Amino acid sequence: MGNLTGDEMLINEIKAGNALAFEAMVIKYQPKLLSSLIAYTKSHDQAEELCQKTFIRVWQKIDTFRGDSALFTWIYRIGINLAKNDFASSYAKSKKKTDPLDVSEHEISSHISPEVDLIGKEAEEIVFTFIETLDIDLKTAFILRELEGRSYDEIAKIMKCPIGTVRSRIFRARQLILEFMTQENLLND
Amino acid sequence: MTKDIEKLSAWYDGEISKEDFDKGLENLGSSPESKKILHQYAILSELMQRKSKPQASKLAQLSDYLPQNNPWLSNAFTAAATVLITIMVLYQVDADRFGSDEASQMQLTSALSSQEAKDQLISADQNIMDHMIHIMQSNHQHEPNSIPKEMIPVGFMPSAKNPSRYTNGNNNLYFHIENKQLGINKVKYFKANNNWIYLVPLRDGRLLTAYGDVPPELASKMIRSLN
Repeated sequence: MGNLTGDEMLINEIKAGNALAFEAMVIKYQPKLLSSLIAYTKSHDQAEELCQKTFIRVWQKIDTFRGDSALFTWIYRIGINLAKNDFASSYAKSKKKTDPLDVSEHEISSHISPEVDLIGKEAEEIVFTFIETLDIDLKTAFILRELEGRSYDEIAKIMKCPIGTVRSRIFRARQLILEFMTQENLLND
Repeated sequence: MTKDIEKLSAWYDGEISKEDFDKGLENLGSSPESKKILHQYAILSELMQRKSKPQASKLAQLSDYLPQNNPWLSNAFTAAATVLITIMVLYQVDADRFGSDEASQMQLTSALSSQEAKDQLISADQNIMDHMIHIMQSNHQHEPNSIPKEMIPVGFMPSAKNPSRYTNGNNNLYFHIENKQLGINKVKYFKANNNWIYLVPLRDGRLLTAYGDVPPELASKMIRSLN
């Protein structure tokens, strides 16, 4: 295991201009950001627009990211600030943005998917019910990872098993859940 | 193929070496299927984040203290602590029932969506969580008469065996009052497994903490009477 975290490696690549790394970051964090922005704005359309603006801003400002906070925290902050700016603009009934987006939009917009389909509320319970039926080892490893944000090493210690086993269990849990969601038509292609 | 996807799963979690990271990134560039799977992992993570509530990790800490004092709580929490994650604490603000302000609800809702945002919220409410740990540790028990009658949910009586515990035969409730409000100006309540913890700012400047297996439906009369 290297010393750098996955996000740190991702950031280094993005800073080096690797558009594929940027796209990977967007794929990884877009659903979480969109969900946060929907909660904040109460509007799916507005949240999607803000989400795209946020990632454009991330691309523009990535060199200023110093790693003082987690990557998503930084992204989230940008997104919320943009949302606040939007609210302020609306409130002032002004079309003028306080901090306009200017460069690179076209350069990177192709890496940001315009729509992300989050799982609906009704499907949510179906999935959680299915997760309850998973083998206890798979479920525990998966939940420790996804809900607690535990590292594989921590999970291995908690579950008293090798890291490789943790990795397999998390993968297997994800695979079973996604297979179930596909069967139930809960995932959009 | 399975091994490749297993590597992608680890890649998604950032649990890989630099070499495997580079290979994974290269693979993403050449495999739309890998991108699709990565996207599905992200969708699944977001879904799980909804279940992941702000105080989960903090309550794991809280659970360390619980067995020391409250036997009826200790069983539930000790069992939960064996698998840390089974302690699910829901930070809920029910605006309709308790008149919480929309801004805080929005803040909380958005905070649920990410670990990082969740951490920020935990940090913001550090005092509250410290207070909860404090009262769980506290050996001080309030005498029945020290708890105003209007605070007691209908049908609850002091337990004969333990005067600090109120029971209706099925549910139990403990009370704790302190001369501070920790900046709380609206009722806040949490859920931990089948137990609920209510933080109720009183008009006289004190803070009532009530905890037990009493759901909001039962506790609402108590809470309304105080607001």
